[in-house]
Amino acid sequence: MIEPYAVVSDQPLDEVAVRRAVESDASGAVVMFCGVVRDHDGGRGVRSLDYRAHPDAERFLADCVRRIAEETGFAVAAAHRVGDLAIGDVALFAAAGAGHRAQAFDACERLVELIKQEVPIWKRQHFDDGVSEWVGL
Amino acid sequence: MTMVTVRYFAAAAEAAGVEEEFLDLPGDATVGMLRDELAARYGADMQRVLASGSFLVDGTVQRDPATPLGGAVDILPPFAGG
Repeated sequence: MIEPYAVVSDQPLDEVAVRRAVESDASGAVVMFCGVVRDHDGGRGVRSLDYRAHPDAERFLADCVRRIAEETGFAVAAAHRVGDLAIGDVALFAAAGAGHRAQAFDACERLVELIKQEVPIWKRQHFDDGVSEWVGL
Repeated sequence: MTMVTVRYFAAAAEAAGVEEEFLDLPGDATVGMLRDELAARYGADMQRVLASGSFLVDGTVQRDPATPLGGAVDILPPFAGG
């Protein structure tokens, strides 16, 4: 079986590589999801996000990619960035390629949901009033 | 008693004030026993992490308190990727 494309990096993510990993001659649809750092959360202004990952996070991300590929039969791939991210930075690319768009949207959505559930990554949110907190606690 | 290496991440590291330590626990220690020990040792901030967090034992995420610990365990706050 082909090794899944699953990367956790403290460097800007390679969007083209994620897309290439799911492209094939049989793919009539390629869906790319970009998870982007936004400037607000729960009605408060956000200045930046600090992502931390467990040293094994990439293995967990690869497990997610492998599982969705097996469950759907379609090509999927993902890359997650860690470190200090600014508003507008991409934290997550997830991609799916399939024969038709409904399949690709579905596979991509399932992949993102699984990543959020299964991959040991954490983020600290810095609000614009100077307060910061871990998300999800 | 057995020496267990405990690593803390993100909010768990902040609650413990360290990223790693070694705890003497009974040889048959479980995830539930460690959870009680850490809650007593570090108080409310750690209890909040443990209430929704999980434990990495032998490369697998565990939430069942009956899970045996072995020699090393990682304390994982609730995941917030994406």
